[in-house]
Amino acid sequence: MLQHFDPNKDYGTPARVSENLVTLNIDGVEVTVPEGTSVLRALLKRTSTFLNCVPAITWKHSALAVSAQWKLKVAAAPCFLYHTCRKRHVCYYAEQQAGETAPQHHGAVHLRSPAGLSDLSSNGNCELQDVAGAVGLREVRYGFEGNNHLDAKKDESNPYFTFDPSKCIVCSRCVRACEEVQGTFALTIDGRGFDSKVAAGQDDGFLASDCVSCGACVQACPTSTLMENSVIERGQPEHSVVTTCAYCGVGCAFKAEMKGNEVIRMVPFKDGEANRGHSCVKGRFAFGYATHDDRVTEPMIRDSIDQPWKKVSWEEAFSFAAGRIKDIQAKYGRESVGGITSSRCTNEETYLVQKLIRAAFGNNNTDTCARVCHSPTGYGLKTTLGESAGTQTFDSVMKADMVMVIGANPTAAHPVFGSRLKRRVREGCGLIIADPRTTELVKSPHIIADHHLKLRPGTNVAFINAMAHVVITEGLEDKEFIANRCDNTAYNKWREFISEERHAPEQTEDITGIPAAEIRSAARLFAAAPNAAIFYGLGVTEHSQGSSMVMGIANLALATGNIGREGVGVNPLRGQNNVQGSCDMGSFPHELPGYQHVADDAIRGRFEASWGVTLDNEPGLRIPNMFNSAIDGTFRGMYCQGEDIAQSDPNTNHVDQALRSLDCLIVQDIFLNETAKYAHVFLPGASFLEKDGTFTNAERRINRVRQVMPPLSGMADWEVTMALSNALGYEMNYSHPSEIMDEIATLAPTFKGVSYDRLEELGSIQWPCNDAAPEGTPTMHIENFPIGLGNFAITEYVATEERSTRKFPLLLTTGRILSQYNVGAQTRRTPNQAWHDEDVLDLHISDAEMRGISDGDWVGISSRAGDTVMRARITDKVQPGVVYTTFHHPGSGANVVTTDNSDWATNCPEYKVTAVQVVKVNSPSSWQQNYQNFDDQQQDFLKQGRESVSQ
Amino acid sequence: MGNATLSSLIKMVNQIADNNVHVGTADDAANAVASHITRFWARPMKQQINEYLNEGGEELNDIARQAVTQLQK
Repeated sequence: MLQHFDPNKDYGTPARVSENLVTLNIDGVEVTVPEGTSVLRALLKRTSTFLNCVPAITWKHSALAVSAQWKLKVAAAPCFLYHTCRKRHVCYYAEQQAGETAPQHHGAVHLRSPAGLSDLSSNGNCELQDVAGAVGLREVRYGFEGNNHLDAKKDESNPYFTFDPSKCIVCSRCVRACEEVQGTFALTIDGRGFDSKVAAGQDDGFLASDCVSCGACVQACPTSTLMENSVIERGQPEHSVVTTCAYCGVGCAFKAEMKGNEVIRMVPFKDGEANRGHSCVKGRFAFGYATHDDRVTEPMIRDSIDQPWKKVSWEEAFSFAAGRIKDIQAKYGRESVGGITSSRCTNEETYLVQKLIRAAFGNNNTDTCARVCHSPTGYGLKTTLGESAGTQTFDSVMKADMVMVIGANPTAAHPVFGSRLKRRVREGCGLIIADPRTTELVKSPHIIADHHLKLRPGTNVAFINAMAHVVITEGLEDKEFIANRCDNTAYNKWREFISEERHAPEQTEDITGIPAAEIRSAARLFAAAPNAAIFYGLGVTEHSQGSSMVMGIANLALATGNIGREGVGVNPLRGQNNVQGSCDMGSFPHELPGYQHVADDAIRGRFEASWGVTLDNEPGLRIPNMFNSAIDGTFRGMYCQGEDIAQSDPNTNHVDQALRSLDCLIVQDIFLNETAKYAHVFLPGASFLEKDGTFTNAERRINRVRQVMPPLSGMADWEVTMALSNALGYEMNYSHPSEIMDEIATLAPTFKGVSYDRLEELGSIQWPCNDAAPEGTPTMHIENFPIGLGNFAITEYVATEERSTRKFPLLLTTGRILSQYNVGAQTRRTPNQAWHDEDVLDLHISDAEMRGISDGDWVGISSRAGDTVMRARITDKVQPGVVYTTFHHPGSGANVVTTDNSDWATNCPEYKVTAVQVVKVNSPSSWQQNYQNFDDQQQDFLKQGRESVSQ
Repeated sequence: MGNATLSSLIKMVNQIADNNVHVGTADDAANAVASHITRFWARPMKQQINEYLNEGGEELNDIARQAVTQLQK
């Protein structure tokens, strides 16, 4: 019989890698496995039916390690396993094969099934029922009299799943999933013997516990004890589609399990190469926004933002938008319009938007939200390593001996990677955290960082220079790597620079606030590790020296030889799902797709030949330049796809002024977001469940995004862009997103080998994918750099202009939390609100006491840019002098306070350093009152638009 | 372009200069700044900073001034 490969087959225990192979004889058939493989996994190589046996339940989960009592080490000797249980397992398997039942297992099922098998969920999702069926169990031997757990109360506190202890067999899988897969240790088995039960936290319920709702326990549960509420309410899914999550840059693969066109649940895909079967609360559960009532699914137009919306046909919307853009260009010139691509949209959609701007608008005024997050990564890594991307896979961290996390909070912002990192640290990997705040990685169950370098906001470059100074002056550098792989002229110049005494930790201590001895110790640990990796986030890039810091990180990795193999590298943790892809696709105003500069005549010539137009050879405007030009009156029209610049960009008052200055703002989005309130044309967008295309995650992995349901508006986003382009007079004619990818492959050398067929064949591809690397490049720079030799860059520390003063004595830094995503447009429309329904200001108790502020008080936050009001939360997670907040809720006005200071090289905003004063208040700020009035007005205009008759 | 753009351009070019002071000599630094502007600034931005220099460029620091002067050659 033909054996089909089942990508979802659960092999029970993780795969082992070993050069030593062991051959087993199972029921007369030889099976060869690597040494260290569990018996269960070996048996499953032979058949899939073995899982239907009782002993398998307690340890069948591919993400969990084999527990001690069951661990069966495969010896290097041929054929034999040494474990007392082996014979029983193999015999049992033989019995099953012969069609016999296994009565010796009935008792186990009875004892562990307090609800009785017939009462377990009949939704086809209960392994215990499957087991009972496999062993022929039909009767409940012990009846329902006597002690039982039938009346145990359900825990329905979590908005996404229910814990029904009456169905629990106390197998501990959920506890182990929480520990081993997620690394949160929120669950335990409470009590002994018959009283033993699963408890969340101190038995205070899932919602009140440390549970992060990743769903690992739900997935691991072999009964229906832990069950998604959506399955309880709507029944078992009928079919599924494998696609890619649209939240953070980890790019988790999920099975969207469906009933008709309705998503019942999202299950992390075990073969997902980025997530390896794990998930976080956002990807696993927070997908309800896709069908939220707030979705706007019909095009709308209006002449002015002071008017109600008018519902129109697609044709009229395109005609109106194109007419406005043409009129503006006729009056104010070709360069008076531009656009913003989306890091939430697919590569194909992003490619089309920048193509429309360059070819149909006729200028290079295209930019993307990476401008406000990782543009310094592009600049810094291209300058030093020759490519604007991270160097590794996420799997690579499992070979690291030392990890330094700088300005990142992966357990909140990149949770699935955060769990992987914690697992590696529990295995013994060293950990250095450089962050002004005390994040979960500094100290949490079974995790204690070797060093928490609690630097002052804005002093990153002084810190990284001090680290490199120790490495060089103490002779800890990798001389062989430097000699063979790096530009020695640049190195010698940098060596002289970094060796200067002013970079010594003792000299920078007063700047960074990090004790010199701690820097020296951390630098020695980092340099001494066989494999040392650096992971960083927006705490590196969103500074006035973001690009310098990225280069400083690359300098350190080069100096210590930590580039070009697994377990090392420079790893930017990208914020949004397709930030990497939007940059790859030519969204920046100076680069065509594939990071090819617009001024290069040969490169531009290839694009001109393909696109059939003459392209501008000068870079275009960046987002902040567009805003300034709008205020000055020279920039009048903008096409914005899938971004909410009115909420996400700094200095809200400035952005408000710029958007109000536009004659035509075209917004394409799934909701009437903050930016759309300033728009004249609204084009309905498609959620990720409605998309067909690809996303590229933080490890350069191109993943397929498969359409789960048809676009609610009737048009895919790429079709909308194409139609707008055609209305503008520049013809686009694609019939499927695969054709767009084929075009990308012909123009971007790093994508040369990428196609939908290859993606189906390989599952995913990490670029560069070309003739030299036909299956992609998991680890970059193994033998050489795209620029030949690694380039050490001079990174002088230049203090930011944003300094604390008597008027603004505190430093505000902003960031993200686990349950909300970016501007919150998606997660605020899900039950994730249960965890974070407002932004709050974290401040240290000493700063609070000095101001008479108590926990929960309303506080006014003022900076030189503006004022807003939030509730205060007293915490020791921030150091004295530093306050922290998030920007997930528009009414909180976090970005009213942030300034338009930015990175010197890329204009990435300095979100992480704003000098502020905090005082106790009792009413909203004037900005908040104005915002509320504007929001009320725009919601009313939307309501009128929805009720209008389509023209 | 008016004041919003010009004031930001002056700040940008001075900031680029401050971050390139240590790449070598003053000439090296000015070259780096000029190269950066050439590669990353839009045409209207280049034109405006040139005009500002022609009008005196009072708020440009030394390296920035030298760099913008180079752009005009």
